[in-house]
Amino acid sequence: MRKHLFYRMKRRSWLNLCLCLLLAIFNWNSLLLSQERFRKTPPYPESLAELKLPEVDSASLSNGLALYLIHRDNVPIINLRLIVFAGESSSPEKLPGVATLTAKMINLGALDLSSAEIDERIEFMGGNFTSSVYDDYSVFDFNFLEEHLDDAIGLLSRMILFPAFKKLEIENMKRSMKYELLNKKSDPEFLARRQIHRLLFKGHPYEKSIYNEDVIINLTQRDLAAFYDKYYKPNNSIVFLAGNLNLPTASRIVSRHFSTWQRKEVNHPFLPPPKASDRKRICVVNLPRAKDATIYMGNVLSMPGASGELLPLFVLNQVLGGTTASRLFMNLRESKGYAYWAFSEIEIFKNFCIFLIKTKVLAEVTYKSIEEAFNELKSVTDGEISSFEIEQAKSYLIGNFPLQIEALPSLSFKVSESRIFNLEDELWSKYYEKIMLVNSQQVFETARKYLLSTPVVVIVGDPKNIIDYITEFEEIEFYDNRGILQQTIKKEKSSEDR
Amino acid sequence: MSRSSKSRKTILIIGLFLFTLGVNFSAPSQEKKISFPITQFELKNGLQVILAEDYSLPLVSVVVGYNVGSINESPGKTGLAYLLQKMMFQGSENVGRMQHIKLIDNIGGILNATTTEDKTIFYQTVPSNQLARVLWLESDRMNSLDVNSLNIEQVKEALIEENRNRKEANPYFESLLAFDNLLYPDPAFSHPIIGYEADIRELTAEDIKNFYKTFYTPNNAVLSIAGNIDKRKTEREIRKYFETIPRGNNISPLPESDPLEKKEMVKTFEDSMATSPAFYLGYAVASPSSADFYPLTILEYILLRGKTSRLYKRLIERERIGFNLIGGLEKRKNLARFKIFIVSNNWMMVERCQKALFSELNKVRITPISEEEILKSKNLFKMDYLRQFETSLGKALSLAETFLEKKRVDDPGDELEKYLAVTPYIIMRTAKRYFTEESIILNVKIK
Repeated sequence: MRKHLFYRMKRRSWLNLCLCLLLAIFNWNSLLLSQERFRKTPPYPESLAELKLPEVDSASLSNGLALYLIHRDNVPIINLRLIVFAGESSSPEKLPGVATLTAKMINLGALDLSSAEIDERIEFMGGNFTSSVYDDYSVFDFNFLEEHLDDAIGLLSRMILFPAFKKLEIENMKRSMKYELLNKKSDPEFLARRQIHRLLFKGHPYEKSIYNEDVIINLTQRDLAAFYDKYYKPNNSIVFLAGNLNLPTASRIVSRHFSTWQRKEVNHPFLPPPKASDRKRICVVNLPRAKDATIYMGNVLSMPGASGELLPLFVLNQVLGGTTASRLFMNLRESKGYAYWAFSEIEIFKNFCIFLIKTKVLAEVTYKSIEEAFNELKSVTDGEISSFEIEQAKSYLIGNFPLQIEALPSLSFKVSESRIFNLEDELWSKYYEKIMLVNSQQVFETARKYLLSTPVVVIVGDPKNIIDYITEFEEIEFYDNRGILQQTIKKEKSSEDR
Repeated sequence: MSRSSKSRKTILIIGLFLFTLGVNFSAPSQEKKISFPITQFELKNGLQVILAEDYSLPLVSVVVGYNVGSINESPGKTGLAYLLQKMMFQGSENVGRMQHIKLIDNIGGILNATTTEDKTIFYQTVPSNQLARVLWLESDRMNSLDVNSLNIEQVKEALIEENRNRKEANPYFESLLAFDNLLYPDPAFSHPIIGYEADIRELTAEDIKNFYKTFYTPNNAVLSIAGNIDKRKTEREIRKYFETIPRGNNISPLPESDPLEKKEMVKTFEDSMATSPAFYLGYAVASPSSADFYPLTILEYILLRGKTSRLYKRLIERERIGFNLIGGLEKRKNLARFKIFIVSNNWMMVERCQKALFSELNKVRITPISEEEILKSKNLFKMDYLRQFETSLGKALSLAETFLEKKRVDDPGDELEKYLAVTPYIIMRTAKRYFTEESIILNVKIK
């Protein structure tokens, strides 16, 4: 009996032991299989760190040349950016392209220096030099190693003050511009933006920036010299220097090299904004063999920069199409599967803006995509934007701003942009604070005020691939890649309509 | 939000007076150190961590680099490394499909990824108060990638489409592959990163899971963070998110690749896509870890970088016998090659290009380069080198890549000095050593 009891007890304790072991194994496994709690949801952010904008000092020379110095000392590199208010809108009526050709010639010979010698000097400074021309201004960007500051400013002054405009170099540059333009004409996005500008700037001085390659060929040395004499003046220019510099040193060097530049009054007539389009226009630009459709929709917003409406417009743009998380992308690509990408943007000009929706879609959903984009526009003008969306858009704009001023060239760009368009508060010093204060009401009012007008629609693609998918439109204009209207097709009215 | 933006306006009346004085105000040309403090440690699971503080802006860049690329793919499984890079955005246990992109986008950040022959790198820059979000995202996909058949098929289709687009966009795509096959006899080194379409189609969930399990482990990765960070706090966060991820098995080293045969080789490739005749020239050069890599880099700048480089000036500008010239040093793990590719208008021009090219290569072998020219090339190199450190992302990427290549992090300032110390004599010696008769030429004819 005792033995029996012993065995029974022993058997029970063995059972208990096994049970315990099993439980332990089970618990251990479940511990291993279940993840840590913190992995389940994204962590909360900490409070936003302080943004200390780089200091910007300014000075001006007696000849009117303005100098802005942007302090940044992370790498021993300098970005020098010279703005001359001589954009394509300043080209004479009959000479579109002259502003661009003039700017492109600046580094192709100066005084006693040939184009090759200039290249040698630039590269000796570890440098690179580019010139770009926009509607309102021309810009010369020069990046070089810090230790060559004096030489670099000296070289730039020789190029700007004494351009050679050699005939042979002009002919070479004209050829190169012609081929560059021809090459770009296979780029659907280039064609789409150009066509939008062409339609919106019709009859306005900005129309000159949309020239074709044939007009470049007729430009002469005399045209360039006349344009240069009229606009390349110190009182019509600004120098931006970004790097590890101090104002007295930079001013002395800039002054030494630029003080002989003679001042002359430059007249910039006020250009009123182009008239916003007020009717629905569907325009197809022919790009043979393009299998997809690239769609740009846009209109002019007669928005004076200082109106205080720019930042609500930025927030609105963000909600609509700023990133992959915005409405257009989420709808056209993620939800409907029509598009490769879909975004919106704001182009800033001196006295107005252009609001653009842009997307690349499968040809067979061209109409549906345009319809969806219109629906998205309608939805924001109807006020269907939640506070959450507004806050998310602001969060993007606030978070992204420091990224835009990190590298020297983009920092220079940002500071110069705010000065060019007289938007120092909106685009630079008070950007952060002002974005934070934007509220739903302001965004809604901006949408109602500016996005209610019907944008023009440009579709770049092969008409053979698109035509069957846009038959719903009442009227379609067909253009070639030079922007010349080929034909207009109107929808035949059905018997009931007649 | 407070900022301090001072805009001090000073009217300086400085005119002709200073100009006529002719005083030299140029900055002293002393080398400036670009070094920055780095903290480095290893987690228990083998993850290497590198931290660099930079308080200029409230930003932080996070880079996760894996020591894996297309050379780790087995025969018949090409495209796997690149496919896995794409899969890393398809979701993990706690992160939905494409949510990684949206969560970075929403806060104004930027992100991307890249796969090379020997590395796969994921990177993002965000406002510094959002560092934990990135650590959470990166650790989740390192820990528990979601490999399901729906995701796989979508990514495979996207990859195949990208493959076709690349071929359409680059008419010399096929000839470049043929040239790589000559330059790298080991197929592991020469097959395209994007893979072959037939291989991609055959890749299975099992292949992807195995590849992920083998290579996407903490002990095969480096985490590099640069920006506005508190080092101690950042270390704590890193340990929280990454240290419990299990260590992976040790990865056996790749077998030695077949050496390039030491002989001159001239081949012809008939390309149906090529629009103009062209040719490739290549040399096997010192391994990237060799001291010769410094002069080889400067040699690359002398010959090919910038509008005033020797080859560009002669072939494109002066003699106008070629219209497209690209090339330079190329690293694939422990192998390196010096490649040059030139497109001409017709076959006669190709032959003239080859003569001119060999004459230029011979010149650097037998004539010392002038002090001025070498200084120009070094300055161009220095500019490119410094630009890496202009942004927090540039810093984090540079640190991660260096670690993956060398298993250590060099001081950027000391490294720069090594390039700048190259002399004309060393250039001549290096050119003599590598620009030998054992060159490989692939002539590309239009089919």
